[in-house]
Amino acid sequence: MKLTQLYNKKEFVITSEVGPVKGCVRPTDGTTPTCLGEATLLRDLVHAINVTDNQSAVMRLGSLAASVLLRQEKMEPIYQLTCRDRNRIALQSSLLNTYSFGIDNVLCLTGDHTSLGDHQTAKAVFDIDSVQLLKIAKGMNEGYDMMGNELTQPTDLCLGAVVNPNFEPLDLQLMKMEKKIEAGAEFFQTQAVYDPKRFETFVRKTEGFGVPIQYGIVIVKSPQMGKFMNANVSGITVPDWIIDEMGSVPKENREKKAIEITTRLVNEIGPMVQGVHFMPLGWSDVVVSVIKEIEAQGNKFALAACA
Amino acid sequence: MIGTTQKPFEEILVVLEGFQKIAVVGCDGCAKVCMTGGSEQVAELADKLREQEKQVVMEATPERTCYVDKTHTKLDPYVDQLKEADAVIVMGCGGAVQITRQVTEELGLTIPVKTALESVGHMDTLVSGELAMEQCQECGECILNETGGICPVTKCAKGLLNGPCGGAENGKCEVDPERDCAWILIYNRMAALGEMDKLKRFMAPKDYSKMAKPRILKIKEKKVA
Repeated sequence: MKLTQLYNKKEFVITSEVGPVKGCVRPTDGTTPTCLGEATLLRDLVHAINVTDNQSAVMRLGSLAASVLLRQEKMEPIYQLTCRDRNRIALQSSLLNTYSFGIDNVLCLTGDHTSLGDHQTAKAVFDIDSVQLLKIAKGMNEGYDMMGNELTQPTDLCLGAVVNPNFEPLDLQLMKMEKKIEAGAEFFQTQAVYDPKRFETFVRKTEGFGVPIQYGIVIVKSPQMGKFMNANVSGITVPDWIIDEMGSVPKENREKKAIEITTRLVNEIGPMVQGVHFMPLGWSDVVVSVIKEIEAQGNKFALAACA
Repeated sequence: MIGTTQKPFEEILVVLEGFQKIAVVGCDGCAKVCMTGGSEQVAELADKLREQEKQVVMEATPERTCYVDKTHTKLDPYVDQLKEADAVIVMGCGGAVQITRQVTEELGLTIPVKTALESVGHMDTLVSGELAMEQCQECGECILNETGGICPVTKCAKGLLNGPCGGAENGKCEVDPERDCAWILIYNRMAALGEMDKLKRFMAPKDYSKMAKPRILKIKEKKVA
């Protein structure tokens, strides 16, 4: 199911993210890969689950294999595709593969640079950029590859993109966002934002853009993680009040605190846009608690059903 | 210019193991500017080799070693010394090494030609004697007219053509916090020039066939083949 179908029905779209494992997922030893386990926790609570593509340039199971695994389990994956590791031939082939395996949603990204990952000596590809990838993907939906060659069967993928409301100057980021929309982006997921005012500024500036946006949030698990993100993750700022609040409780209460803070932010920022996207970095159970908490508070966000 | 750095002397010694009589060739073009292979550095290397009991049979520094005529002009008078040499060590870029090899072959000699330097890119000198920066990839399809004279192909770590990724912070690149985000530089420059509209245009994927190796420049015909 394409995410656009939900947006067209004015649903508040809830998605979360899983990172494929560093290893294979061939079912030989009876264990459940963590990415599948996390996704299963969220099955009845979110509309779809993003599957990251060698996130942070760390080599792992591919997003296609993990997306297919989720699909086999009747969940709705959003296949993430970055420009870092594939040239234009491989990217287009990946789009054909993705649609052929029954996946309906693809999130097109530039990708973190290889120098940030665990294979720092790799050649970074970046043959094309995310705007160009969206335009190419749109063309493939229309039945042609980027060189104008006809496809025997076109793709029919819902195309997503990302935007960072934290970026300064914001207008430059929005200029790229507009290019993405022009190229074919049908929905956006934002980088993690913790400042409602900043997000509101972003929302006001994008009101006329005519595309649904999901508020993105990375769950901060500890004061150390907040500080680490500020020092090492470009494009995200965790404010002092979150670091302080997380630090004000003993370790055993941190998960509860994370649920409380995340719920508060989603309640405050979520209604400004058309959906929310959680990036739990392994804490999918916290996402479960946050969504249930929001529902218990009688918020308008209805529980979603994955697939 | 072509930027160069010197290989560690220990590595050069390994390369020259088994060779006793050494010819040292430098380059008074780019390598001189980088202070890696000009006449001064040639003399320094020659001295260090002598300290290691090597016999230096000649030292010569063409004006530009990547230019075959200039290298012939400088090396031809040394043909007898080159005949005697067990190996030539070149303190120049990869091009200088290969032109030196060509020149020795054209002189009828078959001697190993080795390099003492690493070539590290097309560099522009920003501060004389201090700082050079890679600013051009020689992509064969220049877009500087559209980007305010700042090249995103080279100065953006990801070579993005349609604007920045989301990773810049405080105007700096996600890859290196010391490095300016190329797209913020371009944005500011285009704003100052009043050319922001140009920046909003979609930039098509580059034609990388124009960078297919090895390119040949047909100088008389003014074209690349």
